[in-house]
Amino acid sequence: MAGAFGLKGCQKIRGPQIRNLLEAKDFFLFDCDGVIWHGEKAITGAAKVVSSLIRQGKNVVFVTNNSTRPRENYVHKFYRLGFTDVMLEQIFSSSYCSALYLRDVVKVCGQVFVIGCDGLRSELQEAGIPCVAEADDPDATIYDCALAPDVKAVLVGHDDKLTFLKLAKASCYLRDPDCLFLATDNDPWHPLSGGRILPGSGSLTAALEVASGRKATVIGKPSRFMFECISSQFRGVDPAQCLMVGDRLETDMLFGSNCGLDTMLTLTGVSQMEEAQQYQNSELPTNLSLVPNYVVDTIADFLPAFEELDEQSN
Amino acid sequence: MSASKCSRLSGALIEQLLDSVDSVLFDCDGVIWRGDQAIPGAAQVINRLKEKGKRVFFVTNNSSKTRRMYAEKMSGMGFNVSEEEVFGTAYCSAVYLKTVCHVEGKVYLIGSDAMRQELEAMGIPHTGVGADHIVGRQADWANVPLDPEVKAVVVGFDEHFSYMKMNRAFQYLSQRDCLFVGTNRDTKLPLEGGKAVPGTGCLLQAVETAAQRRAQTVGKPHRFMFDCVASKFGVERGRCLMVGDRLDTDILLGSNCGLKTLLTLTGVSSVADAEAHQRSGCPERQGMVPDYYVDSIADLLPALQG
Repeated sequence: MAGAFGLKGCQKIRGPQIRNLLEAKDFFLFDCDGVIWHGEKAITGAAKVVSSLIRQGKNVVFVTNNSTRPRENYVHKFYRLGFTDVMLEQIFSSSYCSALYLRDVVKVCGQVFVIGCDGLRSELQEAGIPCVAEADDPDATIYDCALAPDVKAVLVGHDDKLTFLKLAKASCYLRDPDCLFLATDNDPWHPLSGGRILPGSGSLTAALEVASGRKATVIGKPSRFMFECISSQFRGVDPAQCLMVGDRLETDMLFGSNCGLDTMLTLTGVSQMEEAQQYQNSELPTNLSLVPNYVVDTIADFLPAFEELDEQSN
Repeated sequence: MSASKCSRLSGALIEQLLDSVDSVLFDCDGVIWRGDQAIPGAAQVINRLKEKGKRVFFVTNNSSKTRRMYAEKMSGMGFNVSEEEVFGTAYCSAVYLKTVCHVEGKVYLIGSDAMRQELEAMGIPHTGVGADHIVGRQADWANVPLDPEVKAVVVGFDEHFSYMKMNRAFQYLSQRDCLFVGTNRDTKLPLEGGKAVPGTGCLLQAVETAAQRRAQTVGKPHRFMFDCVASKFGVERGRCLMVGDRLDTDILLGSNCGLKTLLTLTGVSSVADAEAHQRSGCPERQGMVPDYYVDSIADLLPALQG
C-alpha cells in the first residue's frame, strides 16, 4: 500500500483503518521526541502501544536524530518512562549510526575530529574509533592552536560546548579534500517539553559548511543511512512491510519516503496538520515526499485497535 | 562605464581613468595590506592620490576594528589617513541600526570589543561582549532569562562565539518583532600574520539556520556602506572608483552603486574568476565583472608621479 507518486493520503485514520495497518505491517519505526515522549514525560498510552506491538509479534525500533546520549543511556530512559520491553538492539541514534558509518562504510584509518557531546564520543569509542582528544588548553587562541596529525574525518553533532576555536580547527582539517565531512543530523532546532526550543546540530553544520565551502554528509534522518543500519541488523526487512512513525515532516516523513516506507505523522510533536497540507498542495514535486500517508492525533490512537485484535484472538 | 569590461588597466588608460574620478574607495584586506604587511607601493598610491586632490576612503567588511583602530594601523604603515575616511562594518552597523532600523532599546550583541565601542559611540545600549559559557542543563538554556529591553540581535565577528551565545540570540529571535542584523557574510576573516579563520558569515549562518530567519546585512555588496560614505562626503557616483580584490563583495558593491570598478589581483579573486562571470551570460553575475584589473594597486603609481 505504498503511496503512489503524488498520491499520499495525509488522512487522519482511526479504529478500523489503524487495525488494518497494524495487520499489514510487521516492522514499526518510531521517532522518540514528540512521538513516544516529551523530554522526561512519556506520551500517555505510548508505553502500552509499544508493548502491545511487541506482544503482537511486531518488530519495533526507535530511530532518533538526537546525538547527545549513548544507547545505554536511552535504555535506562526507556525503562524509567515505563517502556519496559525495550532493548539496546532496538535503538538507533544518529551518534550510534555515525560510529557505524565510520567503522563499516568508511573504515576510517586515522583520527576523527569531533564537535559534539560526550554521548557522541562514547559511541565512537565503543566502536573503536579514535577521536582527537578534547584539549582544554587555556593558552590556545585562534592565532596559535595546535592541530592533530592524521585527522581523516570531521564529525559535527550537537555541541553545547561549541567554541569558535573548534570551528576554526575543523575548517583547517577540512581543507584536506581527503578528510571526510560528516554531520550526525541537520535539524536546525530541537523542541524541549513545554514548547521551548534549542538550537540544533543543523546550525553548527551550516556554520562549518560556510567556513569550508563543503557540504556535509548527513548520517541522520532524512538520509537513508539509519535505515541501512537497521536493515543490516534485522533479517529480512522489507520496506513494504514497514511503517515510519514520526512528528517532523522534514526529517521523519522525508526519511520514510526516501527509504520507500509508508509514513505516519503523529500530531503530538513539531509538525502540524496545516503544514502537511501545505506541502500536499505545493507545486514542487520534491515537497510531496514530506507528506505523510497517514496521520494520527497521538500514537495512543493505536490502542483501541489492539483491544479489537486482542478480542479477535481470544 | 566602459563598453568592454574586464580589461587590464595599463599605460595611458591609467591616467585617463584617474582623471575621470574625484573619489576612490579602497577595500583593505588584499588591496592595501595582507594581514599586517602593507602591499608594496600602497602607501605611496594613497598619499599621491590625496596630493593630487582626490578624496580617498576605505570600505571594509571586517568588523573587528573601530575606525580609530584602522586609522592607527594605517598610520603605522605610512598611510596618510584620518579616522573619518574609514568605513568598517563595526561603525557602519551602528549607523545602520540608528538611521535605518531606528532601533529603540538594547541590542543583543555577538561581536568584538570594536563593535561594542562603535555601538556605544552611537548611543546604542547593548548586552556586552566576551565569553559566555554554558552552565546548567538543557531546560535552563531554553529558559534563559531574556532582557525585555532587547529589541535587536546583531551578529559580527566574535572569537568568543559559543553555543550559549547562539542560544541566547536564538531565543530573542523567536520574538517576531526582534530585529536581526549581521555585519557581513564573508566566509573567512584574514588575521594578522596571514592566517585566515572562519568569518562572520559562518557565525551568521549558524544563527540564521537555528532561528530559520534571515538577517539584514550591512556590509558589501549591499549599498549601505557606499551610502554611508556618500551621505557624509557628498560623493558623485559617476566620478567614483571602487578598488577591491573580491568580485562578490567589492566589485558587486561598485556595480550596484553605479561606480567604476577596478579589481586588484593581490587578494582573493582572479581574472579567470571574472571572465567566468562574464562568459556565463547570467545577468546576476555581470555585476561581478570589473571594468578593469591590475596586478597590484602599485600599478597606478606611474600615472601619479609628477
